[in-house]
Amino acid sequence: MTNKANGNEATTIPKIDRLVHEPARLTIIAHLYVVESADFLFLQRQTGLTWGNLSSHISKLEAAGYVEVTKEFVDKKPHTALKLTNKGRSAFKEYRQNMKQVFEDLPK
Amino acid sequence: MNEKINLEEIRRKAYTSYHQDGLIDILAACSILSFAAWIILDMIWLGWMSFVISTSIYAAAKRALTIPRIGFVKFPQQRTRGMLTALVALGALSSVLGLIAFMQVEGGTTPTWLLLAIEYYMIVIGVSIAALFSAAGYTFRTNRMYAYALLTLIIFVPGHFLNFPFYYYLLLLGTLILLLGIAQMTRFVRRYPRSAIDTTGESGNDQ
Repeated sequence: MTNKANGNEATTIPKIDRLVHEPARLTIIAHLYVVESADFLFLQRQTGLTWGNLSSHISKLEAAGYVEVTKEFVDKKPHTALKLTNKGRSAFKEYRQNMKQVFEDLPK
Repeated sequence: MNEKINLEEIRRKAYTSYHQDGLIDILAACSILSFAAWIILDMIWLGWMSFVISTSIYAAAKRALTIPRIGFVKFPQQRTRGMLTALVALGALSSVLGLIAFMQVEGGTTPTWLLLAIEYYMIVIGVSIAALFSAAGYTFRTNRMYAYALLTLIIFVPGHFLNFPFYYYLLLLGTLILLLGIAQMTRFVRRYPRSAIDTTGESGNDQ
């Protein structure tokens, strides 16, 4: 690996958002990115994560302001809607760009 | 990360899983069969009533059958809005054409395009239904709608050369789609049992 490549990696890798980079959270964010909103069950079906695992990751994403959790009643039943916030969308786009940059900078 | 994140694949999977319950197929089949019933019984209200009832049942069935099994999701509305706009524009264009044709017929001259449309009505109707299925396939990203479009053409185009009554083709198409829809729904119900929600609360493998 050349010094130049080393330099590029050194500047790009620290930009990777570790909150997004974790595989389960990345899967959750990618699924929420392509829809307007979804509930826990839909995300569980799509991602294959367990209920507790999903819940734990959603809490972290909510705390970071990447996911908005709305509790409401639909047909008199409690319903939790999950939506990627603008901040979450931007973070995901930035993550994709940075990851692409990391791989492009690697020597062939 | 070993797997590449393919957003288009994730989007397609989300749409497919939400619409794999067969309800949209059954709704389409009921609409076609309602159209056939309207022609057979010559009762326009029956066709509209069946359509309205099946649309209401669709919404209720989605809530009772699909959401408890696969969850609830809202998709971005761009495609739906675009498709609705296109349908409204198409409807307006058809109305204008109909009005022009009516005025010309009243004036004593039947336009050539109208004579052609009447002569090839089986093909015109078949292509129109196939276009509607294709539009549904595009809007809901559901490939089997394209298969239904092809099936419609397979049934209606040869119909132009055969001498069976028009409603026969509608009954055939409606029945086939209804059976396929029921098969799809049965597969969906078996694949996603209602009580399969995992509440084990397993701790996350967080980093």
